[in-house]
Order: sequence, then C-alpha cells, then structure tokens
Amino acid sequence: MTDKISIISSKTFSKRTATKNAVEKSMNIIFLICGLAAVICVVCMTVYMLVSGAPAISKIGVFKFLFGQIWSPENSQFGILPMIISSFIATFSAIFIALPIGVLVAVFLAKLIPGKLSTALRMLIDLLAGIPSVVYGLLGAILIVPAIFKLQTAAGLPTGGSLLAAVIILIIMILPTIISVSETAIRSVPKQYEDASLALGSTKLQSIFKVTVPAAKSGIVAGMVLGVGRAIGEAMAVMMVAGNAAIMPEFLKPVRLLTASIPIEWAYSSGLHREALYGIGLVLFVFIMIINISLNTVLKKGGDVRG
Amino acid sequence: MKKITVPRSWRIWLLVAVLITATLFAGYGETVSPSGGNTSNNESEGGNSTTEVLSGVVKTGGSTSVEKVMLALIYQFQEDNGDVTVDYEGNGSGDGIVNTISGLYEIGHSSRELKTDGSEDGLDVTAYAIDGIAVVVNKDNGVDNLTKEQIFGIYTGEITNWSEVGGNNAPIAVITRESGSGTRSAIADIIGLEKKDDDSTKIIDTASEANNTGAVQTQVSVNPDAIGYMSFSDVDPAKVNTVNYEGVEISENSLKDGTYKLMREFLLLTKTGSALSPAAQAFMNFVMSDNGQQIVTDNKLLPIN
Repeated sequence: MTDKISIISSKTFSKRTATKNAVEKSMNIIFLICGLAAVICVVCMTVYMLVSGAPAISKIGVFKFLFGQIWSPENSQFGILPMIISSFIATFSAIFIALPIGVLVAVFLAKLIPGKLSTALRMLIDLLAGIPSVVYGLLGAILIVPAIFKLQTAAGLPTGGSLLAAVIILIIMILPTIISVSETAIRSVPKQYEDASLALGSTKLQSIFKVTVPAAKSGIVAGMVLGVGRAIGEAMAVMMVAGNAAIMPEFLKPVRLLTASIPIEWAYSSGLHREALYGIGLVLFVFIMIINISLNTVLKKGGDVRG
Repeated sequence: MKKITVPRSWRIWLLVAVLITATLFAGYGETVSPSGGNTSNNESEGGNSTTEVLSGVVKTGGSTSVEKVMLALIYQFQEDNGDVTVDYEGNGSGDGIVNTISGLYEIGHSSRELKTDGSEDGLDVTAYAIDGIAVVVNKDNGVDNLTKEQIFGIYTGEITNWSEVGGNNAPIAVITRESGSGTRSAIADIIGLEKKDDDSTKIIDTASEANNTGAVQTQVSVNPDAIGYMSFSDVDPAKVNTVNYEGVEISENSLKDGTYKLMREFLLLTKTGSALSPAAQAFMNFVMSDNGQQIVTDNKLLPIN
C-alpha cells in the first residue's frame, strides 16, 4: 500500500519525493514497532498468566478451584465459585439497568436535541468516563453504602457494603461507555432510512425506535459488551463498596467480586495463597478473552448485515 | 531548499512519549528512602561500635504497618551514618517474607509471625517493637467495653446483635482485615480465632473485609453498627472510638505496663546463615539500641525490652 502511494507521489511531486519517502519509511518503521510492542505485550501477558496461574489451579484442583464454595486461605480452602457468581450477578444486573438507560440517552443525544446542547452533554458524559475509579469508590463508600443502611436494617441484616452498592457504582461507571458507543452507532445509520420511514407516515419516535435503533443494533451490542468488559474488570471502586465477604451473593449482603480479591489479599499473601490469586487472575483473563471474542463476532456479524 | 516545518502531529507523539514515561514512573513501586543529611560523619550511636566509615545501600521492605516507625528509624540512622542508604519498600508482610527468603531484601519487615508450615523457613526473626491493636466502633455506638469472650463471639458469629453486649438493638456489622494481614493474624491469635498449629480461622464468613487500616477506620466511621480492629498508632480519635478490652483502656501507659493485652510484635527478618553487610548489621544494632528503641517509643509503640 505504501509503495503504491509513493509511486503516485513520485510521479506528481518529483521534487519532494525524497523527503516524503523518508518520512513514509520512518513512520512505517515507527508504526511497526508500536504494533509489535502491543503484540509482544499481549503474548507475554498470556504466557505469564498461564505460567503463574495454572500451577495453583492444578495444585488445588480445577474443579475445587472453580466450583469450591469456600474461600478461606487460612484453612487452605480456595473455592472461587461465590466470587464468580457475584461477579456475574453484579455485572449483568448493572448491564440490565444501564443498557436501557444508556440507549435512551444515546437516542436523546443523537436525535432529539439540537447539536450544541448535545455536544455539551456529551462532554459531561465523557468527563464521567474519565473519572478515576477510586473516586467512584470513595463516593460510593461515603454516600451510597450508608444510603443502603436503612434497607439493610429493615431486612434485619447488619449494615455495611453490599452487592447492591456495587451494582449501583457499576451502573454509573459503565453508562458513559454504553452511551458513547450507542450514540456513534445511531448517528452512523444513514439518514435516508429515517427519511423513508417518515415519508411513509410514521412519527419521529416511531422511525427512531422501529428503524434507526434496530439498524444500529450491532453498535449498541458492541457498547453493551464493552460495558460488560469494564464492569467485570473493575476492581478498585467495587472493592470499596462491596464489603468483600467471600460468600454467595445476596443483594443486601456483602459480596466479594473476582477482581477485588487480588488487590485485597495480595500484599500479605504468600505461598499457595499468592499462587491462587494468580489463578484468579487467569480466570479473569479467560473471561475477558471470551468477552473480546464475542465482541469481535458481534461486530463482524453487524458488518455483514449492513454490508 | 525549503522551510522545514515541524508537523503538528509530532506534538502528539511527544505528548504520548511523555505520558508513557509518566505512567511508567507512576506505576513503579513505591520506594521510599528518606534522605538523611550528610552533615555528621560516622558518629556511632548506641550498639554500633564500629569505627570505620560505613557505606552502601541496605535494601529492606515488607509490612506496611511498620512504615511510620521504620521511616523514622531509617531517617535517624542515615543522619548518623551519612554514607549509608537504607531503602524501605512498603508492600506487605507477605512480600517482606518472600523477598527476604529470595535474597532481594537484606532485611525484611513483618508485622505477623512466620508460618510454621515450612513455606516461610530459613529466616532469623528479631522483634523490635510491640504495637497495640485497638478494637474500634462508631462514635455513636454506646458500647465502651468488650471482653475477650465477647469479641470472640462477635467475630465467630455467635453474637450478632449489639444488645447482647450492652448496646442498642441493632445487628453487628463485623469488619475484619483480609487473610494474611498481620493485624488479623495477631488479633486472631490472642482472641483464639485461629489455632496456631493448623492455622484455621473461625472468623465468620459474612464479615466485611477491608484491606488496610484506613479502610477499616473509614467503614467504622460511617457505619453506626460496625466493629473493627486496627493498629493503635493509626487510630484517629476524631473518627472512631476505641473500646476497652477486658476493662482496660488502650493507651501508651496501659501498653507499657502490660495491662492491655491486645498487642503484636514488629519483626525484622534476616536470612539464616548468610552474613549481613556491615551497614545492615549496624542498622539492626541501631534499631535495638537505646536510641532506636526511643524512636519506637516516640511512635506510640512499645519497645521490646
């Protein structure tokens, strides 16, 4: 491709060709190095996770590790089932609530309000995406967790961090991702689709929800999958609000998510305990891989449909 | 030929480079080495009786609980021995132990006892300070005294309501530290929540886990029904109340005269059978000297003797 471009340019701008070629080539090399760096990082990480995580899992036993219900390093019990289930419930509850909100906000931004207002709102939403997760965690620990105390007292449970608090934090954290990806998808639907729908006599809202949104489906699904990825990978914020007890999840009780286990116990762990934390890392890594692969599949399919 | 203009896009590259560098440095481990003044030369202190000028770098690291007192000790030691640098990496007792065994640290820090299951063999242990562990509750909580049995009951889940220990009718929100924490293993050992030989825990699994002293204090300060425990030297009386243990209030005096029983040792670890560098040996001697022990006392800890 580069060669073609340089051939063309040498015909038209012969005088500048030498400089241009040099720039082209050097940029080519720089891009190659950057590309390779990313690939090497991924390969190294995969190998490292496998090498450091797999021994613990095989020592503990794959079944005991993945389906054991008790996590108690002091008793040499390393079952992560409660954390896996908690992570999934937290992630999917958050997506379940954030997706409709996110899509409606995206529709609102893309179709229903004038451009300037939309730009301003989008800037605010992007800002939301840029806030460090520890800040969300702090706000959650000081505002959301105490707000749930009343519910917990009413249910006769001890007050403190809970799955509900984690879900609320996750909803706030994944909304910007869902909104911005969905909005891009909705905006990229050709205007003619909507015009045709309007010309056939449907109202504006009808055309948006019956024509535009379905046409943007693959982009919205991509936003959802990215949201899942972010939610399942979030550690710091949920660690600060979830209570971190490694028990089977209930909405008003403390829960421990997979990600949170690693930073919580890392500092003082040693021996098999530490290796088991690597094992958790490996499990998370596999989950993220699955999410990424499904994202790619969704995007490819979407591409086929729209041609 | 022609004016060479710097393309706009290069500025972006520069920004990217700066960002990457910044990230690398920011992500790099927290190595604290207090810079001692280089004014005094080898004015030997306390147990250090060598007359030659010491020099070199002593790598140490481990428990974060010891950070405050350790940095104070290192600062004074470097003041006295201008050519020696003592590094301290705060990354937890676990790392302190592992890295001392592997030889990365010449001296490791631990705020918990070593395991006896063989995984932490090969280390010599020197205790240099005793830290009080405070049981803390919310400022609105009326309970001001708990016995050993009551704390045992609360942490094992036999006592679930504050009314059972003389407080309001509210469920107790139990907050504990993560497994492996020095504070956790110390309190578990004293209260009997953990049998020493088989290392098993009886702490109720619904207890919330906080992974550092600050998190315990924050959670207790916002939750009227919470109970937690933490290093006495870190207690902020404006945020939480300390509870008397067996009728004894935690204070420097009650720690000193031994009437307050919830306490643990801070340990220096060295590899068994390998000789310390003169600088590291001098630092060990300094910590155990009268001057070193005075610094320990100044940091709300109890000297070992």
